[in-house]
Amino acid sequence: MLDLQGYGPRLIEGAGVTIQLAVLSLILAIVLGLLTASAKMSRNWLFRRTATVYTTLIRGIPDLVLMMLLFFGGQIGVNAISDILYYNYDIDIYINFNAFAAGVLTIGFIFGAYMGETFRGAFMAVENGQIEAGKAYGMSDGLVFRRIRFPQMMRHALPGLSNNWMVLLKTTALVSVIGLTDMVRVAAEASRATHEPFTFLLPVAAVYLLIASVSEWIFSRLQKRYDIGFGEQ
Amino acid sequence: MLDFSAWFNDLLAGNLIFTPTTLGYYWEGLVTTTQLVFLALLAGLILAVPLAIMRSSKHKWISLPVYLYTYVFRGTPLLIQLYIIYYGVVFVDGIQQTFLWPILREAFYPALIAFTLNTAAYTTEIFRGAIKATAQGEIEAARAYGMSPRLMMRRIILPSAFRRALPAYGNEVIFMLHASAIASVVTLMDLTGAARFVYARFYAPFEAFLFVAAIYLCLTFAILYFFRYLEKKLLAHLRPQTA
Amino acid sequence: MAATPTPLEVRNIKKRFGDTEVLKGLSLEAQKGDVITLIGASGSGKSTFLRCMNLLEQPDDGDLIVHGEPIRFKTTKHGREPEDWKQVVRMRAKLSMVFQSFNLWAHMTLLENIIEAPIHVLKKPKKEALEHAHALLERVGLSARANAYPAQMSGGQQQRGAIARALAMDPEVMLFDEPTSALDPELVGDVLKVMHGLAEEGRTMVVVTHEMSFARDVSSQVIYLHQGLVEEAGPPSEVLGNPTSPRLKQFLAPKY
Repeated sequence: MLDLQGYGPRLIEGAGVTIQLAVLSLILAIVLGLLTASAKMSRNWLFRRTATVYTTLIRGIPDLVLMMLLFFGGQIGVNAISDILYYNYDIDIYINFNAFAAGVLTIGFIFGAYMGETFRGAFMAVENGQIEAGKAYGMSDGLVFRRIRFPQMMRHALPGLSNNWMVLLKTTALVSVIGLTDMVRVAAEASRATHEPFTFLLPVAAVYLLIASVSEWIFSRLQKRYDIGFGEQ
Repeated sequence: MLDFSAWFNDLLAGNLIFTPTTLGYYWEGLVTTTQLVFLALLAGLILAVPLAIMRSSKHKWISLPVYLYTYVFRGTPLLIQLYIIYYGVVFVDGIQQTFLWPILREAFYPALIAFTLNTAAYTTEIFRGAIKATAQGEIEAARAYGMSPRLMMRRIILPSAFRRALPAYGNEVIFMLHASAIASVVTLMDLTGAARFVYARFYAPFEAFLFVAAIYLCLTFAILYFFRYLEKKLLAHLRPQTA
Repeated sequence: MAATPTPLEVRNIKKRFGDTEVLKGLSLEAQKGDVITLIGASGSGKSTFLRCMNLLEQPDDGDLIVHGEPIRFKTTKHGREPEDWKQVVRMRAKLSMVFQSFNLWAHMTLLENIIEAPIHVLKKPKKEALEHAHALLERVGLSARANAYPAQMSGGQQQRGAIARALAMDPEVMLFDEPTSALDPELVGDVLKVMHGLAEEGRTMVVVTHEMSFARDVSSQVIYLHQGLVEEAGPPSEVLGNPTSPRLKQFLAPKY
């Protein structure tokens, strides 16, 4: 049997951190992605420009570098703000820049750019006639989005969404480098301490595979749900 | 030459962070990153071609092991793969006595092995997709002209599959460049390693990381344009003719 | 006469796409119970004209008065736009459109398609909307297909379903955009029969069509468009029975 030499509970805690981080980042990424896609399809020049710069920059810079920039830079930024508060308003607070928050923000921010591309393609794949029928029946833009555009878009977005999620999940491992105690960090620490790397790293790898397989199953269920009414009966 | 160094020193004068020394670190980091990524991609490509052919095989006992390999390497974080190989090598008893030790002791080689295996897995799947997408008519035509399966693979399927795979492979190259940033985690002084060093030394995260981000951005665009150029040349036959 | 306002009145509609002016000032007035047929060669602007009536296309000039209420426009840097989109939404709910390519919402069953706008736009109670929907399905002969998705139905069934969806809005005016053009010839008859029945019960309709028999037998007024202008208009007996313009004569000539 696998002897985790007392690291078991911490590994499980670490797995919890990984999953929370991944899910929260995913939610942020979807919100940012929808905003980015709307901005890219907007008539407003500034919105389109901003969205393009955002997606280009994100796709041009390694995740780890962005993460370090935000995390190490974020702490200095927060310190600067608390300094200003102290000297000008005599408010003395120390804000600790939270590694978990930094992780969620960075990963959400990075994958928001990828989601933006996914959603944009998916929105454009919805037939114009479907939208026009909504408008012709007196639906407001909001209602058209909620009742027609979004449900039909999801069918086209799901493969990309699923793919982004798989990459995002693996990207969460990087937070261990900036000091967040996810399961990768616990496993790496245990490997160094015990000189038994395989005992800890292989199970952690297996957990990633397990999460990936479960997600794959969930996504295929979702795909079936959103495919209703399309293609063969 | 003298003029240049005088101009350069002027440029850096009064700048505490970007001194000739730190720029030297960045330069070495750039060299390390380039070597690591280039060698990993090259080795990965060489591995991926036969693996993709095996993965496309009708025989389960040939395709399944390759599928397991790509499933595991694409389903787990590269960082874990790097740790397993790096720590595995360092902590495995007895390895210190073998002739391999002088090579493996340096973080460069474990990193290179991890990156190679990782990119080979992704590239295998990219090629497999491209092979699968070969037009059935082309295969039938090759059969009709009496080509053996081997000849058909070499002359018909692979050449067109490589071209089809080009855009996806371009993305993989960029992905590898970005993923290589984690080499700094196992003490390698790659580009990100240099940035971390400068950050630690001067406690100047914005300068240190923004500068390196700009370098990565330039490299990314260079790769992007290179692949666009290749696509233009190699995929010209697929574009509709304009008079 | 002033007791009930005119359901739909359009005056001097102009529309250009880039350099080509497709509508050069078109007007139309649909009184209650009118069936107005727009005919013309492809490219004559008849579909664009119809789409301007519920503002799926924005006309560059002209007035639109629905049930006595004029739509207000303003000029922005993107061109002429309605001043108040809420007004447009309200107006569209009174004019329901039947499309050439049906445009039933693909992710909903036929029944869900029919109750969608009554519930979410007109805010009808679900029970009432369902009762109405079943009655309409019965009427267009599709009761058995209530739970089918559009992709599972033939084109003729989809179009009859789309007409039921339009009727569910209790519209002031129904706009038909070449409702039979995308159908196989043997399916056209069923759809025309349904439209015939609607005309007989006094529905106000504006129909873009190539079906001359429908224009002749059903409409109260026929308008022949040529290159964005009205070439001839009047009762079908005059326009179709005794055309004066050589172009209309040629258009109506049997194509062996």
